[in-house]
Amino acid sequence: MSTLALLLTQTVNALSQSALLFFLGVGLTLIFGLMRIVNFAHGALYMLGAFVGYSIAAWSGSFWLALAGAPLLVGLFGAGFELTILRRLYRRDAHAFLMVTFGLALVVGEAVRLTWGSDALQVAGPPALSGVVFMLDEPFPVYRLFLVAIGVVVAVAIWQFLERARLGLLIRATSQNADMANALGVDVKMIRSCVFGIGCGLAALGGVLAAPLVTASNGMAATVIIDAFVIVIIGGMGSFLGSLIGALLIGFVQVFGNYYAPDFALAFMYLVMLAVLVMRPGGLLGKEA
Amino acid sequence: MALLELDGVTRRYGALVALDQVAMSVEEGEVRAVIGPNGAGKTTLFNVITGTVKPTAGTIRFAGHAIAGLPSHQICRLGVSRTFQITALFPEMSARDNARLAAQARHARRWLPFGGGHVFAEAEALADAALQQLGLTAIADRPAGLLSHGDQRLLEVAMAMAQQPRVLLLDEPTQGLSVEETAQAVETLARFLKASRMTVLLVEHDMEVVFRLADRITVLHRGGVIADGTPDQVKADARVQDAYLGGLE
Amino acid sequence: MKPLTTGIAGIALLAVLVLAPLGLPPFAMTLLTEAVILGLFAMSLDLMFGYTRLVSFGHAAAYGLGAYACGWLLLNTGMPMLFAVFAGALLTGIVGLGVGWMCTLATGVSFSMLTLAFAQLLYAISFKWTSVTGGSDGLAGIPRTVGPFGFAALSSKAGFYYFALACLVGGFLACRALVRSPFGAVLRGIRENEAKTTALGYNTRLYKIAVVAVAYGLGGLAGGLYAPFAGFANTELLFWLLSGQVLIMVIVGGAGTLVGPILGAAFFMLMEHQLSAWTEAWALYFGLIFIAFVLFAPEGIWGLATGLATGRFRPASERH
Repeated sequence: MSTLALLLTQTVNALSQSALLFFLGVGLTLIFGLMRIVNFAHGALYMLGAFVGYSIAAWSGSFWLALAGAPLLVGLFGAGFELTILRRLYRRDAHAFLMVTFGLALVVGEAVRLTWGSDALQVAGPPALSGVVFMLDEPFPVYRLFLVAIGVVVAVAIWQFLERARLGLLIRATSQNADMANALGVDVKMIRSCVFGIGCGLAALGGVLAAPLVTASNGMAATVIIDAFVIVIIGGMGSFLGSLIGALLIGFVQVFGNYYAPDFALAFMYLVMLAVLVMRPGGLLGKEA
Repeated sequence: MALLELDGVTRRYGALVALDQVAMSVEEGEVRAVIGPNGAGKTTLFNVITGTVKPTAGTIRFAGHAIAGLPSHQICRLGVSRTFQITALFPEMSARDNARLAAQARHARRWLPFGGGHVFAEAEALADAALQQLGLTAIADRPAGLLSHGDQRLLEVAMAMAQQPRVLLLDEPTQGLSVEETAQAVETLARFLKASRMTVLLVEHDMEVVFRLADRITVLHRGGVIADGTPDQVKADARVQDAYLGGLE
Repeated sequence: MKPLTTGIAGIALLAVLVLAPLGLPPFAMTLLTEAVILGLFAMSLDLMFGYTRLVSFGHAAAYGLGAYACGWLLLNTGMPMLFAVFAGALLTGIVGLGVGWMCTLATGVSFSMLTLAFAQLLYAISFKWTSVTGGSDGLAGIPRTVGPFGFAALSSKAGFYYFALACLVGGFLACRALVRSPFGAVLRGIRENEAKTTALGYNTRLYKIAVVAVAYGLGGLAGGLYAPFAGFANTELLFWLLSGQVLIMVIVGGAGTLVGPILGAAFFMLMEHQLSAWTEAWALYFGLIFIAFVLFAPEGIWGLATGLATGRFRPASERH
């Protein structure tokens, strides 16, 4: 394989990995930005998304239906959790959220194991995307290109939503000053439920999309929650653009690290994070923490 | 020699000059008020003296030490104690424990990781004395977070006093109080200041409070000193009237 | 609860723990020993979480580091177990100084995440540094070496239990002295209002670094005990799940009470054991119980117990 071809395929690989990481990180950062909550259950909801997606695909035979249905169902579940449990905690300190969502992670993780069993489940991607294309004579899976594309689409969609849509405007206003927004007649409670639901739905979207690559397994929650934290911290908690930059950085570090120095790949990610935090405690685009 | 002496103290935030060549000196035992329109740089002045903000230029001498740019805990240990514009207390601790923790900060063995009965005893004696000076003895055992606003403000002063400071910096001690609460707090403060002969630097918005408490007044405007003198001199000063009335331009 | 009553309750509990080996079957002794070790681990975290409001999400780092260090010494040097356990604790405490220095650069949630990142870094290293850590297999066959001078009493089942219990009681007395000292008063100040504590003239960062080092040292002591107790040390001891679990133990037991986290650890062990005997889905129920604690009993088991004993719930202001 020529060096150039190698570099190209690895770069596209890294971009597709970044896209998956971005779905995780952006949900987490949206939730944090609005509610100052660190959602520990984010990884578990990502996993839930993968398994729900598996079931929808198995039942309907359509990956596309799974791609639409799983985020919706998990998003509704997230909004329901906010309505019934989290809502009681807004007067308490930030750690209460961390703990309740940790409890939720345990519950969801176990519920998934009981419902779908302990074995990893193979999720078939859509047939239309199952082939390979040749880039500089090297075969490359179409599905990974699709991930890059959908990553770009979702990033632009969220950005436009936050900038243009009425709900996006309300979310930004509430993030900056919830009391003021409340005084101006914004239904802050409703916004919080929505955003928590949207964040969870984005995690599930990542789960469904990752499933054809990595299979749906019980272990996926634990791995990705740490990745998601790292991304959001590097980018700056609550910063949309930051989560994008963090996802790209970590995606490249993971893919290239795995290729060139597999023994140290895992450590690289944490070293990058430590380096960023030592230089900028609030993350690259975060406010000073 | 003056206890606290500032010369050419300047603090810039980018293009904004918050303090511009400020020079002033505070004599031992004097109550000095710093007044000025909003944004004149009064709180920045406090932050620079206490080390929370480093001056861009200039010298600050306190009791013979050059303190400009030192970390705030070191300046504090030299004998500069302050209160904040927004009440800052340990809400779950009793008033006495608040003052005791303040006093402990000056003890040579404040960090002792075991025992320490004597440290606590000495700190508590100072704390009780300070609470007494500000008339808070009766409520010493109540959690600070449950005190009235007026008592919370006075407790802050007591905490500063428990540190046996050589100079006390009071940042708007009646901020956020009702008219009635202000009157009570000012009476208590006036009695306390008269009895203690403490050196005080006071920032205050309320002119009645200033004229009631201060011996001398320094007027800041747009980061610079425009007048300095007794209350009567300052009242009569044309530039001061300009600054206050013209400040609205 | 009056101090006297608490004292009597404590002495009674200690007497029960001391006499336990006489009446308990071997499997129960194993559980009890593990509960004692986990109690020490949870108590060490309480210094940071309960007393200083430093929320560590990586306390497994201390446990795993202590376990690996002690295990490595026992496997490779034949050093007496007594010394190896304390050497592991010392090493972990020294590492804790570095961790404290680095993590206190940040505050709040970023602090938590830095502790997590550091623990995950160790986790990653434990997989790859195979020559020392045994990689994904971990260190197995860790012996309970005898000595010094052929002193073998600690190697038996009951002997090891007493060793662990002595560490717990010693650790508890040390922690209690610490939190009641002037140093402890400053920690409470940092917990309630760090900015004000700084303004009073305390160099709060030094206090935070010191408390992280002490908490790591004690956590390392617990991990050092675990290695010869279980006979192995593996990567799970460094995994973030354990960090989360120990935080649960502290909160469920009652943060900021020292005794509470020990009870929380025992409760955790008991629940894990009882629920797993009764249902395969024990983690599910445990998660639900935990959520219920956060929602309805933020003061934890100890808070509930002392609340019941005095006929009322203590307000947060009276907590120490």
